[in-house]
Amino acid sequence: MRVEYINPFVEAAYSVLTEVLNTDIKRGELFLKSTSMSVLGVAAIVGLAGDVEGRVLFDMTHDTAMKVTNAMLTSMGMEAIATFDDMGKATITELANMITGQAVTKLHNLGFSFDLTPPALITGQNMEISDQRVEALIVPMECQYGRIEINVAVRER
Amino acid sequence: MRTKGDFPNINERKAEGVREDGAPYRVLVVDDSMFVTKQIQQILTSEGFEVVGVAVDGAEGVEKYKELHPNVDLVTMDITMPKMDGVSALEKIIEFDKNAVVIMISALGKQDLVKQSLMIGAKNYIVKPLDRKKVLERIVSSLNR
Repeated sequence: MRVEYINPFVEAAYSVLTEVLNTDIKRGELFLKSTSMSVLGVAAIVGLAGDVEGRVLFDMTHDTAMKVTNAMLTSMGMEAIATFDDMGKATITELANMITGQAVTKLHNLGFSFDLTPPALITGQNMEISDQRVEALIVPMECQYGRIEINVAVRER
Repeated sequence: MRTKGDFPNINERKAEGVREDGAPYRVLVVDDSMFVTKQIQQILTSEGFEVVGVAVDGAEGVEKYKELHPNVDLVTMDITMPKMDGVSALEKIIEFDKNAVVIMISALGKQDLVKQSLMIGAKNYIVKPLDRKKVLERIVSSLNR
């Protein structure tokens, strides 16, 4: 997979997370995974179809999802949540929406044309994701709330 | 003795969501994301606006607008929604009431749809992520036009 597909997602994730969490974000080392890999606990998945096809996963632990949700809610003057309820799911979904929206603008400007699916949220323990015939590039983003992995598996059609 | 009421309070700023006569502007929020709906509600109610209705898709938005009319001053309309998208809902609302004040809420990367909405009659647009200042600025300027 070409790195130029993942960069817009990484840049968008960095700028959106910095803005909405209002904290320092550290970008970790990029790594490649061609076998199936475990999902951390809460993952928002967005599908891409067009000149490029595949999926992007925003993956984090349940604990990080809770902290990120509450950081986003309280920074906007809304009430924090005590359990990862529908509001928590809507918040992480919206976070994925904001990041992909920005990334797609960058990719469109690079000349790629494709459509996106609305984000779907997956939660649970002991899950794995497998991508047949396409390897996944992962960029971890570290902040005070934990690690958020940007996991991109796309290929040219 | 003069009471406190006799002195004008120079620190008192008029809330953006309240008309000259003291009545709040009434808002219908149309968005499929619970997060965005809550966020808009929070921003607006803190400035004195009254959220009189919430709809989770375009079809429900049109229905609620017709129900509330003429007791609604402003609509915030998400663009990407299930059942009926925000652009089609805007079209239906303008068809019903050509003076409707509708503000589009858009994710980045939907410039074409935003342009189309403005042509149809949306008064303004706001790009997500939403921040308080941006939301209030756009909404207040649309109401004063």
